[in-house]
Amino acid sequence: MVELFRNIINIVSAVAIPFFIVVFLGWGFFKKVKVYEVFIEGSKEGFGVAIKIIPYLVAMLFAIGIFRYSGAMDLLTAALSFITKPIGMPAEVLPLAILRPLSGSGSLGLMTELMKTHGPDSFIGVLASTMYGSSETTFYILAVYFGAVGIKNTRHALPAGLIADLFGMLGALFICRMFFGI
Amino acid sequence: MLNYVWIGMIGIGILVAVGNDVSDEIRNPYRNGTVLEASFDVQKNNASLTPTYDGEFVVPAKYIADIYGVAAPSAEIHQSARLILPASGVGTLEMAIGEGSPSIWKTMAVGYGTKDKLAGRVVAAKLSDDRKHIRVSMVLDKVSYVKIRAVTKAAIDYADIAVTLSLGLIGVMALWLGVMKVAEVAGLLKVLTKLLTPVTRQLFPDVPPDHPAVGAMIMNVAANMLGLNNAATPLGLKAMEELNKINPKAGTATNAMCTFLVINTAGLTILPATAIAMRAAAGSADPGIIIGTSIFGAGCATVTGLIAVKLLQRLPKYKKELEVDNG
Repeated sequence: MVELFRNIINIVSAVAIPFFIVVFLGWGFFKKVKVYEVFIEGSKEGFGVAIKIIPYLVAMLFAIGIFRYSGAMDLLTAALSFITKPIGMPAEVLPLAILRPLSGSGSLGLMTELMKTHGPDSFIGVLASTMYGSSETTFYILAVYFGAVGIKNTRHALPAGLIADLFGMLGALFICRMFFGI
Repeated sequence: MLNYVWIGMIGIGILVAVGNDVSDEIRNPYRNGTVLEASFDVQKNNASLTPTYDGEFVVPAKYIADIYGVAAPSAEIHQSARLILPASGVGTLEMAIGEGSPSIWKTMAVGYGTKDKLAGRVVAAKLSDDRKHIRVSMVLDKVSYVKIRAVTKAAIDYADIAVTLSLGLIGVMALWLGVMKVAEVAGLLKVLTKLLTPVTRQLFPDVPPDHPAVGAMIMNVAANMLGLNNAATPLGLKAMEELNKINPKAGTATNAMCTFLVINTAGLTILPATAIAMRAAAGSADPGIIIGTSIFGAGCATVTGLIAVKLLQRLPKYKKELEVDNG
């Protein structure tokens, strides 16, 4: 059953993109859309959008860079460990939980390191990769998605996003403890 | 809120960096000014006007532990190095810092600004009779302001990374915006939109159910579900663009935009492709074991995120920001 599910997922991930491209362009062709010209028409916008994101992403990432390399993460980890210890979160994965919404590449590196040190199938390894898969890089998405349309006042998007991250991490911890718990 | 978080990260970051460096000045963890004594194994003697030796600086593991007060490295340290001993004046020793170096030296090399090099001046050097070993007493160059330097470097590096990331989006953006345009003109998005109207009407009450934004959002969520990150971002940006067309107040996020963003940041997917790939690379017996747990975790994030976004948008503060000024 698990094996079947995994096979399905493998196939889906391999063929999804060609499938989308064929269906979309094929449908267009079938509907007598001038596919090539229309494709170019839409494609043109790609460059502008990417350029528009730059200032938003620079502002966001450089602040995150300063925060990460100042040693403030260690202080935050130390402070939060008073809360996370009683709920059964291993101290090793706490930095990952903090870094996950801030930096995609940083949390990817941390997860890999945790799996190398403790083994990918250890409780910490499973928990770390579940945490990584349970959330997205909130700050990056915020900067890119809002940057693309020039949104400067993000209103309640950040607090809601961070609440989601928090519960994503707690959910990951809960389910991992239940199934692979110590 | 973003304003506070942003300035907070920068302000706290710099304050902590300064604090760490001040504490380093007092505690002197890098043992500035301390004389290190160790053996230098000569491998090559470059005959020239100034005697220059290439070889290995050999430091017992316990010596590192004693000097720096850190955990002892697992083995004796062999550090490839160059020793220059002029007939008169001060000799220098330069070490290449790499994989096998003690971590305290790696940290020092970063603070030193070179990252792969540490150097110091030689206080005393005595060549053994067989001319194969030199007993060296040396003082490493002063290491200070490590964190402030790291922060400066991070600020500049990350600004660079931001540009690289943005420019890296151009290709996939152009590809998917092109495909989407064809789907839009052909009316395919309308079909998708109609199918999911009952759901989207609940989530995005402010967006007309047949608006092109809905189609783009559905495509984005579908791509996310399948773990197609490359496709999801361009589709998401397309959706944002469409949502912005019905935004009454330019520059301010609408309720629909915030809701859509939270769905994305929660990252619900039936295929956490990156995590699975990294597990496989780390030699896991069962890389896919986290699919179920990840779906649960991201499911928690999505549900709480949606509840939070719907509750927060009712707060007077956020409601007011949405009002269009008539003045």
